[in-house]
Amino acid sequence: MAGTVIGEGLTIEGDISGDEEIVIHGNLRGRLTTTDAVTVGGTAVVGADITGASLSVAGQVTGDVTASERVDIQAGGKLVGDIKAARFTIADGASFKGNVDMEV
Amino acid sequence: MTEASVIGAGTVISGHVRGQGSLEILGRVEGDVSVTGNVVIGAEGRVRGTVNGAELRIAGQVQGDLRGSIAVLLEAGARVVGDISAPRVGIAPGALARGHVQTDGEPALAAARVPTAVVRPVGPPPRVAPLAALSPVVPKLEAKPLVLPTKVEAKPPPAPAKFEVKAPLPPPPKLAPPKPEVRKPEPPRVAPAPPQAEFTPVRPLKPEPRRPPPPVVPVLSKGIKAKKKKSQD
Repeated sequence: MAGTVIGEGLTIEGDISGDEEIVIHGNLRGRLTTTDAVTVGGTAVVGADITGASLSVAGQVTGDVTASERVDIQAGGKLVGDIKAARFTIADGASFKGNVDMEV
Repeated sequence: MTEASVIGAGTVISGHVRGQGSLEILGRVEGDVSVTGNVVIGAEGRVRGTVNGAELRIAGQVQGDLRGSIAVLLEAGARVVGDISAPRVGIAPGALARGHVQTDGEPALAAARVPTAVVRPVGPPPRVAPLAALSPVVPKLEAKPLVLPTKVEAKPPPAPAKFEVKAPLPPPPKLAPPKPEVRKPEPPRVAPAPPQAEFTPVRPLKPEPRRPPPPVVPVLSKGIKAKKKKSQD
């Protein structure tokens, strides 16, 4: 089970930081920093800069993303912002707008 | 919708958390928490801010107010600095709390408190009543000294009975009338206890105002007590 789960009906305005997996199904406005994986569910609306080991987006994310491992935008996912990650995938049906830096 | 949310032990949130559903806090929250569901704060959970929810179950540390629409339960090991308000409040042995605790929305308790408060005021008025009686007594004495004694005897029983019965509703109305009369004699109130003792004898004296015998006072009190017992029976 994920370390932290933000349920669908929940809204957080502020910063989240930690060292464990974070799953978001609700709303977040602020900043998200962790050393583990971040999952943005299909119902989530995130307006935050995200820093983590990996990021999986099925919902909406607006903000810059920095991942030490990878970023995946799932089908139906939407991401607006710059991405800095070693690996980056965009599934068919996902939408994305921003710059990508894969540290070549 | 009402999906359970968890703030893990390794997570720190600095900001407000609000919304629907229940929330379990195992990490730290630096800000207010307001949800429609239950809130559980684990033993390692810490919150600095107000916590609103339905049922709050706290085993960790909270620095801020706790408001539960259903209940606030502090379990062993909980440390709370702040006010607590909920219809039900439970503080388990081993929990520490510092602040104001209020159990809201309990009609039974609220109703009970009101009558007791009313009854207490009833106590003092009776003392005043004799003073009030003085003013009417004087004219009566001039008019019909003989009839008075019977009236006097009759009057004392009802008054004590009201007080003993402590019926919330009956006493206030009856007391109300004497109050206006009392206002005039109020200045004597300044020396409450001694003057009353001196005046109370006046009742029995009514027929014979010439001498005020002190022994009569105990007689009056005895009679009142006896009547009280009867009324209670």
